[in-house]
Amino acid sequence: MTTAKIGKHEINFSLEGDAGAPLITFVNGLTQSVGLWTAYSKHFAERGYRVLAYDMLGQGRSSKPVLSIALEDHPRTLAALLDHIGAERTFLAAISFGGIVAIDFALAHGARLDGLVLMSTFADLTPQLEFLGAALYEGLTQVGLPYLQSLLYPMNLSGAWIAANRERIPEMRRAGYIGNDLYALQNLMESFVTFTPRGPRLHEVACPTLILNGEYDFFTPRECHDLMRREMRNSRLVLVQRAYHAFTLEMPAITMRQIEHFVVSVREGRWRGDQSVWVAAEDPEAEPPAYRALGDHMRAIPPFEVPAEAAGKAVR
Amino acid sequence: MNPDLFDAARRRLERSGFDPDAQTKIALFLNAAKTSNATFLGAAQLLPVGDLVMQFLQAQQFRELEFVALLSRVTRWSLDPLVYAASGVIVAPLWSHWWGGTQGATAATPAGAEQVYAGLAFGHALLAHVRLTPVIPAGGDPLDPFAVALQRIEQENGRMLQTQIRLLKEACTELPVERREAVVEEKSQLVEAAFARFLAWLAAA
Repeated sequence: MTTAKIGKHEINFSLEGDAGAPLITFVNGLTQSVGLWTAYSKHFAERGYRVLAYDMLGQGRSSKPVLSIALEDHPRTLAALLDHIGAERTFLAAISFGGIVAIDFALAHGARLDGLVLMSTFADLTPQLEFLGAALYEGLTQVGLPYLQSLLYPMNLSGAWIAANRERIPEMRRAGYIGNDLYALQNLMESFVTFTPRGPRLHEVACPTLILNGEYDFFTPRECHDLMRREMRNSRLVLVQRAYHAFTLEMPAITMRQIEHFVVSVREGRWRGDQSVWVAAEDPEAEPPAYRALGDHMRAIPPFEVPAEAAGKAVR
Repeated sequence: MNPDLFDAARRRLERSGFDPDAQTKIALFLNAAKTSNATFLGAAQLLPVGDLVMQFLQAQQFRELEFVALLSRVTRWSLDPLVYAASGVIVAPLWSHWWGGTQGATAATPAGAEQVYAGLAFGHALLAHVRLTPVIPAGGDPLDPFAVALQRIEQENGRMLQTQIRLLKEACTELPVERREAVVEEKSQLVEAAFARFLAWLAAA
């Protein structure tokens, strides 16, 4: 880990891969830290990329301003961090809270982007998301950080993952508790007091954009991602099967495959941002890595032709 | 805060358990944190205000004193005088802050405003940075009175901290924001440094 002095703040970051290689930058979700991208850094560095991951202001081992953190501080900080490492351009991959940072960066510094990967995120606060955010905020401030952690595990991860990692979870929670500070998380959440919908400006984002949405993500559900697909002309939406909100953690192999396929497609000039909807293959080695979604992708019930006989019974 | 400091302290406690020396070290440091904040809050009662803010400050003062009583009651105190002597050195920066910085908190002058702000920033740093639940050994008795007391204190710290968070953002606005940020940073570094030294001391055999 290295620290960069950005203005009066310190930003903790990791940088893997050779200087001069195409850069992929990862942006954390709310309670995450740079360490959660370690496997991604290794994977992409071994394939000839340079990989930057960092703790946002208010996170991990970066500075945690007490008085306030404004949403507009984050894209400014990222631009300065890119300057610090001497990178003019980057692919930018971001999850959840980091997605807003990435969208704001694309709106303010779009010329520096080779491509954008938006995962489990949103451009507008839907009523459901607004209420969920308020409940999380209330939990953090009235009950405490451990309560927020207790809530986020089952919200963001599948029952299968929780069952498989039950023994590890207390240590993961402890590490998260040490790495996060209540007041800093609260500041990040309170920065949404001045949030304005980004939807009306998404058409300004011209770079290739891959939008990834977990099939079972009820935190930032399909409508959040479909709005971005509809408004971003150079985009595609890929649905990740059986995935919840934190699929970067739960399904790293599938996620890395989708990101890699996107980056290679863009670099080789094969990318088609046609606002189409795809489904990621469950096997990360599968070829092709995704197939076209059939039917109504907004529905959770699998679309299929109802046999006439069954339809008749349903009517009766 | 460096996670290694928490890990080293927990490893020590996993070997020894919450023995009287460990409990005494923790109780002396936490009690110093609580009483130094409560002392500022006590002085703040003399400020010429009687609004909702004052109620929060008073409530926090008495909660802090309750936790000193709780912790002191459940602690198995060490019989080793050196533990107490060494603790005096560890907690000295917290008390010297009080004697050197916030005594004049009631003065209704610009200097007084800065002292009030310094007291609030000091309280924020104490409630935010002094966190001991990560050193509780894994797999220990969940009903151990000392561990339960630490958890209760820390959970309440998060709630009490809301008073400082709001006031640091909204009070003493006659001070330039750069000055307020500098005061907050100074207190944060003071408490973090003292707490880091404490964790290293706790980790020592």
